[in-house]
Amino acid sequence: MLEMQQEMRKVAKELLESGEATVVIGWEKGALPYQTSPVLIRSAEETEKLVWDEYCQQNLSNYLIDFVYSDEKVAIFAKGCDTRAFNRLVQDKRIKAEQFTVIGVPCPGMKDRKQAAKGVADVPLAKACQECRYPNPVYANRTLGQPVTPRATAPDYSDVEAIEAMSADEKAKFWQEQYSKCIRCYACRNVCPACNCTNCIFDQSKSGWQSKDINASENQFYGITRAFHVAGRCIECGQCDMVCPSDVPIMLMNKKAKKDLDQLFGQYDAGLETESLIPLGRYDVNDPEEFM
Amino acid sequence: MSNNPVEKTENFEPKILVFACNWCTYAGADLAGVSRLQYPPNVRVLRVPCSCRVNPQFVVRAFQRGIDGVLVAGCHPGDCHYTTGNYYTRRRFLLMTRMLEYVGIDSGRFQTRWISGSEGPKFQEVVTEMTEIIRQLGPNQKLRDDVTIEMQDFEEEAVNE
Repeated sequence: MLEMQQEMRKVAKELLESGEATVVIGWEKGALPYQTSPVLIRSAEETEKLVWDEYCQQNLSNYLIDFVYSDEKVAIFAKGCDTRAFNRLVQDKRIKAEQFTVIGVPCPGMKDRKQAAKGVADVPLAKACQECRYPNPVYANRTLGQPVTPRATAPDYSDVEAIEAMSADEKAKFWQEQYSKCIRCYACRNVCPACNCTNCIFDQSKSGWQSKDINASENQFYGITRAFHVAGRCIECGQCDMVCPSDVPIMLMNKKAKKDLDQLFGQYDAGLETESLIPLGRYDVNDPEEFM
Repeated sequence: MSNNPVEKTENFEPKILVFACNWCTYAGADLAGVSRLQYPPNVRVLRVPCSCRVNPQFVVRAFQRGIDGVLVAGCHPGDCHYTTGNYYTRRRFLLMTRMLEYVGIDSGRFQTRWISGSEGPKFQEVVTEMTEIIRQLGPNQKLRDDVTIEMQDFEEEAVNE
């Protein structure tokens, strides 16, 4: 990883010195060993700040939305999931691909910083990274290093199936317990590359059919709505789980949606390309008929 | 306990919300009416321009506010007044039905049906059947914003532990 870090600094320096980029988006070290946060580098001297370690889980592509109307030339370092997020944003017409320089970085998997914060000795990979099928950039202007082998070949839905096996009452209890912890900080929405609406319905105070009350019922409304809104867009980067201060298993909802969409309308992995429409944005006259 | 809104009493009458598409199901319900077909008075019909107007969040909202069952009904696929609306409805609610079951809504409380303007008897049949299912299930307790029965259960469990 150290070699990659050196190379990243070198590339960032070249880009800034040659004027090919005025801003480089990467990761820098935070106060604690398991904290690595996004950073914007604007000068060649600052490139020493750039790091590449086991905690670079943050998805950087969302920051590009802030540069859509700017004249700055932006270069961004991107792991497999960041490039899928990039494609998602292009697909949603939030950014234009040709405006940005994407430097792909094959990702060996990032460690679970919540576990690290708890002081676990041998920190495991984050859950999303353990299940990652696309660690290599799917879109990049240039790629550094050698491609890595994916850690999983097929999606793992064992956790979703465990919930599905419960009775209706158990499910209701489980989710109510989980969502009563939610503090509605919207961190999951804000980091999510699939949640990129300019006007989120949860920012509207007078829509009449959603409320900002913090109780299990309203929080579940938020959870179900968010899972439904990102259904077919979710790139399974696991950012929502990572940032949730209350440890709500948000990915468990998103994975359920993905599992069902795949079963009903055929396998679809979001963000692999930019041409196709998401499953809920199109239809097929031969869709399964259950309603009659 | 008599003021508990979700206690299943002998004379429990389910509240069912029907989202009826203006062009087919609303006409079907009207036909059921003019044909003097008897159906349970538990249904509240809400007319929408097309079944795809029904945002899946409306369904969750209805459950939150004390509805015991939701029926979304529209034209048969291929017959949509707006050509393709109900194809989208079908995709959305295939997923939403599963999502709602995943969070614990009993299956049968949320249904989608295709009822055309000439299917008055089908409207009668569907709402009668649904009322019976929900009468069996009892009042909905899941997702409700005025009910904390589940939370009381948690507390009891915590005390027992």
